[in-house]
Amino acid sequence: MSAHQKYKYENDYKPDENRNKGASRWSHCRKRGADGSLRKSHSVEEPGKCSQSSRRPESFTTPESEGPVSRVKNWGDEVEAEEMRSNVRRDMHRYRRRILEADFPQRERKISSGSSDSRDSRDSKESPAKGDIETDETTLIRRQKQINYGKNTLAYDRYIKEVPKHVRQPGVHPKTPNKFKKYSRRSWDQQIKLWRVKLHAWDPPAEEGSDLQQIEEIDLGEIMDFELDVECSSNTESHCPTSSGGSLSLAEDSFTGTPKKMMKIEDAEMS
Amino acid sequence: MSKSACAASSPTPSGNESNKRWDHLDMDSAWTALDVVTQTMLQKAIVDPKTVDLEKLSNAIVDQSLKDLSFCKDAGRMCYAVVQAEAQKAASSVFRRNLLTRLQQEFTAREETRNRSVQEWVCLVTFICSIFDYIKVNNAPLVALVDPVYDCLYRLAQPDALMIEEEVDCLVVQLHRVGEQLEQTNSQRMNQLFYLLRDGFLLQEDLSSMTRLLLLEILEFRASGWTLTDTAHKYYYSEVAD
Repeated sequence: MSAHQKYKYENDYKPDENRNKGASRWSHCRKRGADGSLRKSHSVEEPGKCSQSSRRPESFTTPESEGPVSRVKNWGDEVEAEEMRSNVRRDMHRYRRRILEADFPQRERKISSGSSDSRDSRDSKESPAKGDIETDETTLIRRQKQINYGKNTLAYDRYIKEVPKHVRQPGVHPKTPNKFKKYSRRSWDQQIKLWRVKLHAWDPPAEEGSDLQQIEEIDLGEIMDFELDVECSSNTESHCPTSSGGSLSLAEDSFTGTPKKMMKIEDAEMS
Repeated sequence: MSKSACAASSPTPSGNESNKRWDHLDMDSAWTALDVVTQTMLQKAIVDPKTVDLEKLSNAIVDQSLKDLSFCKDAGRMCYAVVQAEAQKAASSVFRRNLLTRLQQEFTAREETRNRSVQEWVCLVTFICSIFDYIKVNNAPLVALVDPVYDCLYRLAQPDALMIEEEVDCLVVQLHRVGEQLEQTNSQRMNQLFYLLRDGFLLQEDLSSMTRLLLLEILEFRASGWTLTDTAHKYYYSEVAD
């Protein structure tokens, strides 16, 4: 059934990964840091901001801390969490309504974009209507966060401006995974990864940050095998597209090292 | 001039809304309390949030609110306008986050603030309640602020605070404004607050008659479901209390 048991992922399975304004290898693709502020350069983390620590589960304690009981909450974080929860609930109501409408079409079923799209290969449109949708809030929030990372990119911005929904073709154009459909953890994570890789085709041409590129290239070389290393280093002027919010398991996923040029060829092959 | 620029520059359907909001801001009494620099930043933030240093703006608003009681009451509405504009046009929440962080800092230091200046303390409470009143998340009140607001009101209901007219005034005004909402989110704490108020009214001998009047009114107000009956209203408001 689901691969939940196999995966040890927590909501914040990478507590050490700096998702804030700190420079990550793909900072220049992201238009803003995790706190929402527009990214200018490698700015310092805001003082008093403890969103990293507050993402840990409540039971997490370090020897120096006061323990799980008296952990002071950050209002900013709390409100954002509230917002995410209520957004997810609202989305669920909307989705349920859309599913019901799809079951009783007034007119010819139009190909709607978004989560209720019946063109999705896997599930028939019946199963969602029968209540077989993902309802676990923790899961939905985790998925929404992953989606937000992807949407919070210049590539996504450029993509939605360039390709309006009615023009999009399945397979060619990236489609946001539907968080309400039942998928195993592994399947979902893979969908997200593939989606984000596809979005990189709309990355803006890199103007600056070549210094950072040098450093990132070195890191990349250490993790990836030699072949990919050679590919990337031959593209020092353009960036190596990779997903920024996901895991750093580059070695496993050969997609993540694909330079931009190769992506275009891929796209051409698919059409 | 700015209105048409706003309409032209905002591709989203909310363009009209922000026009209205901008108009609204202009007529806001709190607006006049701000210096020109902040006013300009505020206008720009509503029209195009990305062009403004939102952190700076939120600090300016908080600073002003701690000095100026009349500003605090409507500051919440102004803040909400910026929060909305940022959410719709920039899909971020930098302003709100900074505002809340700053508020939390001030809240944590409230006892020192009160010791230093009762005026500032009262401004702080008024501002926090104004934010609670205006800023909503998907039409629901900010749960994160519920306990802090109660904490402030509890402090105002303490015997030492009941001796100070500005504090009593603040207490009853805020209860009028946000009492009902507060009770809906946590009725138990509201009950406890009212125990304190009843105690104060009955047992504290050295209260001024004005204070007792205010306390009695709020007791009746809540008992009638956060409203006043006609006769009660006549009693409290048709005569000028000296």
